[in-house]
Amino acid sequence: MIELQDIIKDYKVGDDTAHILRNVSLSIKEKEFIGILGTSGSGKSTLMHIIGLLDNPTSGTITINGRDVSRLSDSELSILRNEYVGFVFQSFNLINKLTVLENIMLPAVYARKKLSYDPQKKALELLTRFGIFERKDFLPNKISGGQQQRVAIARALVMNPDLILADEPTGNLDSRTGDEILKLLEELNHDLGVTVVIVTHEKDVAKRTKRQIFIKDGEVVKKY
Amino acid sequence: MNYIQFLVQNSLGDLKRNKVRTFLTSLGILIGVLSVVLLIAFGLGLRNYIKNQFDSIGTNLLYVLPARVLGEEGGFQDPGAVTYRFDEKDVTRVERLSGAALVVPTIERASIIQAEGESKSSTVLASSEDIDDILNLEAEFGVFYTRSDLTKKAKKAVLGTDLAKALFKSPERAVGKTVRISNQAFKVVGVLKKKGGGAFGGPNFDTITFVPYTSSSTLNPEKKFINLYVQADSEDVVPELKRDIEKLMIKRYEEDEFQVIEQTELLNVITSIFSIINTVLIGIGSISLVVGGVGIMNIMYASVTERTKEVGIRRAIGATKRDILLQFLTEAVLLSLFGGLLGLIIAYAIVFAIQSLFPAEINAFAVAIALGVSSLIGIFFGVFPARRAANLSPIEAIRYE
Repeated sequence: MIELQDIIKDYKVGDDTAHILRNVSLSIKEKEFIGILGTSGSGKSTLMHIIGLLDNPTSGTITINGRDVSRLSDSELSILRNEYVGFVFQSFNLINKLTVLENIMLPAVYARKKLSYDPQKKALELLTRFGIFERKDFLPNKISGGQQQRVAIARALVMNPDLILADEPTGNLDSRTGDEILKLLEELNHDLGVTVVIVTHEKDVAKRTKRQIFIKDGEVVKKY
Repeated sequence: MNYIQFLVQNSLGDLKRNKVRTFLTSLGILIGVLSVVLLIAFGLGLRNYIKNQFDSIGTNLLYVLPARVLGEEGGFQDPGAVTYRFDEKDVTRVERLSGAALVVPTIERASIIQAEGESKSSTVLASSEDIDDILNLEAEFGVFYTRSDLTKKAKKAVLGTDLAKALFKSPERAVGKTVRISNQAFKVVGVLKKKGGGAFGGPNFDTITFVPYTSSSTLNPEKKFINLYVQADSEDVVPELKRDIEKLMIKRYEEDEFQVIEQTELLNVITSIFSIINTVLIGIGSISLVVGGVGIMNIMYASVTERTKEVGIRRAIGATKRDILLQFLTEAVLLSLFGGLLGLIIAYAIVFAIQSLFPAEINAFAVAIALGVSSLIGIFFGVFPARRAANLSPIEAIRYE
């Protein structure tokens, strides 16, 4: 589904160039459950940004379902982000002035294509499924961290994306809540067939996935 | 929910969350719109006031003046030396023209009027008896002097109501009394109805004194007149009559020794002068609109910085640069429109409150200016901060704390 070929990402820092990703190639297949594991500074976040189309590589190609997306314009990338990827972040990244339901609905507002379903109905279904239906009119800072992360996952799912990209999804949660979130992601992968990629530095978290990719100093060092 | 509704609701939400800031920011626009709308309203009120003054005299009136007063380009020009040059021959000749209903020759002098120990300065307008018809004047008490008063050289006077009141305590007491004009005794036969006027160089009919032009040789030693007032049969024949009078006068006088002016020309000149003054004032008032716009820009920049993370989140879930741009632009425009609306409402309140003192008027143009200009200011001063927000890098924005 997603192919990364010889991805290089450099950053200019003053006169020096920092090589963040040096020649990364990997492929993610449909309905996979993958962990990208690496220490802080390994380049895993940059890799996630590139997979999530938040950033362009310096060189190399990314193909999504056979379409080369490595040289798209900013607005084309925005539309793809909207339709094909759902982000789940460590710090939830909900908009605190919008209610839970409004947060979940937000991607649908930015949708360019006409949706074949009612996004509000979908959002309410997800809230019910995640057991936080009665929180739908709360503001995010009035609910617990675990609930916030569930809201974030619901937001990631509302557009029926091909891919859920979770960046340290348990990083801000206690271990029991973190475990619940991981279970939820497993379920989504298993029951709904959503492709899930978890980026983490925790081996325990990565172990929960079905396949792990290790990143070190900007290179893929081990794949399972 | 459609997209525009989403943008507006989003922005309204943000503006409501910061009520004090929203109000203070829109205050600049409020004051700007208030001053511009009030200036337009006053300008319009003034113009209507002048127009009413002219209309009350009548639009089928022509003036024959003893010098060129209106320039080629339409403004007033220096008339040079004004002399009493028209005589009774001119009057009879103009009277004979077809389309001329009434011709009234006039002499104007500033004099001291004395009665019962009081003395007042007044414009003495010596004329023939038809002056009341031509100027739509009516005697409230007593009567106007007549043709026979004119032929008998009767020393009769008609006073403006304020003048009569000043001299005799109350206007109705004046009739039948004697006044001294340039030390000659005149009998007061009438007091005019209150008319107002007197602004913009025209005579004030409330403080004026009318006498028959034959009544005093000191007023008119050479038997010459300064102006001729000509009333046309109807408004339609005014242009033709004007040309005929010009043809007649050019036979006796040089081109710069007379001018025939239509009432409407005079109105246009005065109106255009006031328009220029008004436009300048509105221009000055607009400066505060610009200041208000800068205030909005300033707050919007702060708001962009404050909401960097929010921008990052929105970008990550699929908002394009354009979505972000429109979001901030909507907010700036709403902020500005809010100020504009408040300014307009306050302007309405002020115009309503002073209605009895001054006939200011808010028209559709003023409303359109207020709302149009404030939206434009919102767009103009909002677009720079909005572009900064739109051009934030999504990755850096989402990491921003």
